[in-house]
Amino acid sequence: MKWLARRLPAGSLLFLMLAGMTLVAFWAPDAWAQDAAGPVEYRSFPVVGSRVVVWVIAQLHLMFGAFVLAVPMFALTIEFIGFRNGDKRYDDLAHEFTRLLSVSFSFTASLGALLTFFLFILYPRLMEYLVSIFDWTFMLYACVFFLEAVFLYSYYYGWGKMPKWLHLLLGLGLNMVGIAIIFIADSWLTFMNSPNGIDAEGNLLSTWDAINNFTWMPINIHRLIANICFGGSIAAAYGAYKFLGAKTDEERAHYDWMGYMGNFIAIAALLPLPFAGYWLGREIYAFSQSLGIALMGGTFSWLFIIQAVLIGNLFLAANYYLWLSMERIHGAERYRKFTKWLLASITVCFIVWATPHSLVATVEEARAMGGSHHPILNVLGVMSAKNTAVNVLILTTYLSFLFYRRANKEATVSWAKTGNIVQFGILAAVVGVVIFLGVYGYFVEASVRIGLSIPQVGLVLFAMISITIIDVFMFRNARILGPIEWGKIPNRAQYALFFIAITFAWTMGLMGYVRSGIRQHWHVYGVMRDTSEHAFTPTLGYAANVVSVTVLIFFAFIAVVFFLSSLSGKKQLEAEGGASP
Amino acid sequence: MMNALKICVFTVLVAAFYSYVSQMVPQKVTYPPEETELGADMTTEELVVAGEEIASGKGTCLTCHTVSGDTGGRFPDLANIGLVAADRKEGFSDVEYLAESLYDPNEYIVEGFLPGMTPISDPPIDLNDQEILAVIAYLQSLGGVATVTLDTELRWQSEENSAAAAASQASAAAGPSAENLSGEELFAMYACGTCHSVTEPTPLLGPSLYNAGNDFSTAELYEAIMDPDAVVAEEFTAGLMSAQLNATGFYDKISSGQLKTLVDYLAMQKGGS
Amino acid sequence: MNILILLAACAGLLALRFVPKMNILGWLVGWWAATFVFLRWGINPPLPTSIQGMFLAILTLSLLAYISANSAHFRFALDRAVAFATEKKYTVALLVTLILLPCLVALRVYFDVTEGPAPPLSSRTIHPPPPVSIEVAGRTIDLVNDDNPYRALETEDPAAFAEHVANGRRVYYENCVYCHGDDMAGDGLFAHGYDPIPANFQDATTIAMLQEGYIFWRIAKGGPGLPSESTPWLSAMPAWENFLTEEEMWDVTLFLYDFTGHRPRAREDHGGGGDGH
Repeated sequence: MKWLARRLPAGSLLFLMLAGMTLVAFWAPDAWAQDAAGPVEYRSFPVVGSRVVVWVIAQLHLMFGAFVLAVPMFALTIEFIGFRNGDKRYDDLAHEFTRLLSVSFSFTASLGALLTFFLFILYPRLMEYLVSIFDWTFMLYACVFFLEAVFLYSYYYGWGKMPKWLHLLLGLGLNMVGIAIIFIADSWLTFMNSPNGIDAEGNLLSTWDAINNFTWMPINIHRLIANICFGGSIAAAYGAYKFLGAKTDEERAHYDWMGYMGNFIAIAALLPLPFAGYWLGREIYAFSQSLGIALMGGTFSWLFIIQAVLIGNLFLAANYYLWLSMERIHGAERYRKFTKWLLASITVCFIVWATPHSLVATVEEARAMGGSHHPILNVLGVMSAKNTAVNVLILTTYLSFLFYRRANKEATVSWAKTGNIVQFGILAAVVGVVIFLGVYGYFVEASVRIGLSIPQVGLVLFAMISITIIDVFMFRNARILGPIEWGKIPNRAQYALFFIAITFAWTMGLMGYVRSGIRQHWHVYGVMRDTSEHAFTPTLGYAANVVSVTVLIFFAFIAVVFFLSSLSGKKQLEAEGGASP
Repeated sequence: MMNALKICVFTVLVAAFYSYVSQMVPQKVTYPPEETELGADMTTEELVVAGEEIASGKGTCLTCHTVSGDTGGRFPDLANIGLVAADRKEGFSDVEYLAESLYDPNEYIVEGFLPGMTPISDPPIDLNDQEILAVIAYLQSLGGVATVTLDTELRWQSEENSAAAAASQASAAAGPSAENLSGEELFAMYACGTCHSVTEPTPLLGPSLYNAGNDFSTAELYEAIMDPDAVVAEEFTAGLMSAQLNATGFYDKISSGQLKTLVDYLAMQKGGS
Repeated sequence: MNILILLAACAGLLALRFVPKMNILGWLVGWWAATFVFLRWGINPPLPTSIQGMFLAILTLSLLAYISANSAHFRFALDRAVAFATEKKYTVALLVTLILLPCLVALRVYFDVTEGPAPPLSSRTIHPPPPVSIEVAGRTIDLVNDDNPYRALETEDPAAFAEHVANGRRVYYENCVYCHGDDMAGDGLFAHGYDPIPANFQDATTIAMLQEGYIFWRIAKGGPGLPSESTPWLSAMPAWENFLTEEEMWDVTLFLYDFTGHRPRAREDHGGGGDGH
């Protein structure tokens, strides 16, 4: 097994992938038969069809890519924290996170190669066009990818074997290159959604304009933040996996902490994500109203109800994990009584967010309602209500964090009482105004209503920042009621971490589908039509099944990553005599 | 190992749960838009039908606009647009106003709404001038009366298209519009006389319609034409007439106006009295 | 919103407070039941079952999260479950549960399978926009601006008005009662054979929110005159213009309002997009 672990990564995996692909290619040679006359526009793929195979591989590549790009970001941050405060724990944690990287990187590269091959084989016309637009960026991408490999392996293998500042510098380089990779790849796919820099016939005018199209930057930012969420949640799942298999209390304590840190990163990055998504949505509208309406108004409007279920579950699970985490802290009992109110707030917001505008009803029910809109529920189906619900949801989760933060602390400063009252006042005022603005939105025209979301977001950010600042000062030199007993947490909490990771992966799959799906029957929106047999948009149920299968394949791969990483981890633990937090 | 198995089962369950949730929402496949056929000799009434098809299909108008009379939607409701179009913009007739809102939608924004519609003559919707005329005809018919034909020229149209329109004008003028045919002509055109006599009380393949006006109510005549097998007079073969009419494409061609003319004509046949 | 049901649900929850030795499981069941009752009966018009199911599913998730977010609660719930499965005094209850559960599932499957074919779900417009004017017996009737010509008699000449209403009553019971029913609740003898079922005039969302011109349009043109957004299910209502005079149709409109006690919707200035109907 150890031999396998040492040999398997990188090259051999790539080789296996290519071998598998060749096998598939010869498995049904009829399907590849092509017309001799004229250039081939599409080729078909046996059984599942060319669209699904490209779809699944692209999504898998994206998930691994997201993970590989995100982990260095917070690994470097954690390493830097450890470097500054000299706490060995942080350095070890960062090292353990990067241990997941090397195998994942091989997977990413292999999947990327597979995706490229499949695209060129199955969609030659589209790829020829994209190459004509983006010619030199493909070269650049290859170079940057090579650099990424150099940085990543030297960062990982050079851990503890070089001066810390040099190592941190390597990590910085790794992140810079990683961001460059994602930005270049984003330019291709955003061009397909919102083409720019071309004339009416689709001929290239300026490659830079094609790169810097409407949705490029919003997608970049949205993906960067989402990658951190995703990476954090997968790292937390790794911690959970190790926690469940841990034999000793030290191990349990260490992996409990690792899971907590991963989850903290994921949820902290989740909070600004809706705002980034909102910006992306606005840019899509700005580029083309039709594209925007396809996103929010047509068939895909139901996709956002599914998304609401996913995000609602995420928030519920994140809070749930925090409440369970408080059991390992002495003094947290004082905050136990608030759980039900936090839960009530989450439930109500969840319900509001998931309420569709036009309802699925049988004939009798629709008749009773006088149409597909319910007179009372109608109120909850519109944007005003949903924006308000999301903002309150974010504040509630923040509140859970706040309680967790002060669970074992008792403020000793003289103004503690006033501070509490001020904090509560800010919170109550902000919640009140946010809800007021939400209700007020019903009484004004659409143009004003859209603008109202900005003060809502601003107020929520203001509340979180100001309350945190007060809290930091208030709990300086606080009396500590008891230690945090890492490892003393029920297994349920670890399953909550898995749940969060799966939900994140599923959300990514679903949103990846909608980003690509809103183009409908276009390869490049408004420029190159999809004339293949797969030009139609499938049902949401079908898309969801593809997403589920993709997620399951991804986790099967991740299981391999975890397994291989823990093998090398074992060796190291044996060598170092066990790392403890 | 037990843990790994549990985690596996858990992962499958969660993914299955989300798949299940996704099956609960409406399932709809969206196909790429079909091209609506626009013949050069289409009448205004046919244009309205074609325009409605375009508006709900290729034109994607109804994604944003409603035609229900409810106000407060995302885009202006179109239920009465045929009525209000002429008063929207000073100096613009209803056709001109509608044309401008289609070719150049952001020139005039209805109060209380945000600009944002894309010119439908451009990609991605990319309707051609003929199709836009059909849409205008449809919009006029909402609360008003359609007046445009495929020959209507608009200053927003591109030049090659107006040339094509001029060409179609010639062919359109050639044949008489089917809408203006009399009941007698329709009776002859659809070859009803092959089986039904209107001049003699003797039955042919089908019953004589010599005295149809007295024998049948208008409603019965409608039914007898549109659903011939609902009531079949004795000694005649059921299914014959419907098969015949289906074969000649009668049901696809006949408009409600023509049907009314035909029924009125039959109701006038009171040979017995 | 049905305030009485809401109050009853709240009162039920309040009553739980005074139950001696109330445990956490009881509370959860109480909350679930109260929400169920409120969603099922407390909202008028009733929520579609799909939405009720979704809300209850979210609530169930939350309640499960609540009980397992606290180890003390969770252990208690587990203990109760184990006790239920093992202790002797629960044997009968356990057996009943074990037998009932598969039966319930089977029953559910049975109902799902035996359910008759249902028309596809689609956003059909119940009250389609009326045309601006219609033509009845060669006369053009302006649906936007014209009122019931006999409505004015209500104040000007009550005796003549009563005559018109009486005529409308005759027309109704000669023609309409078979489908729309004795008390106009849309439940006449033939009503159950139709889809869509005949309109229920007692309901506040039918004639009470429409103008008389709309009613006249529907009577005169019937199902065949419905615009295409009301498809796929065309109403079986005949076009009464073929059978009734214009006066009879206006009279029966008067009678509909007179009998149900509803008032026709007031006329509004129509501007902007569409006008009310």
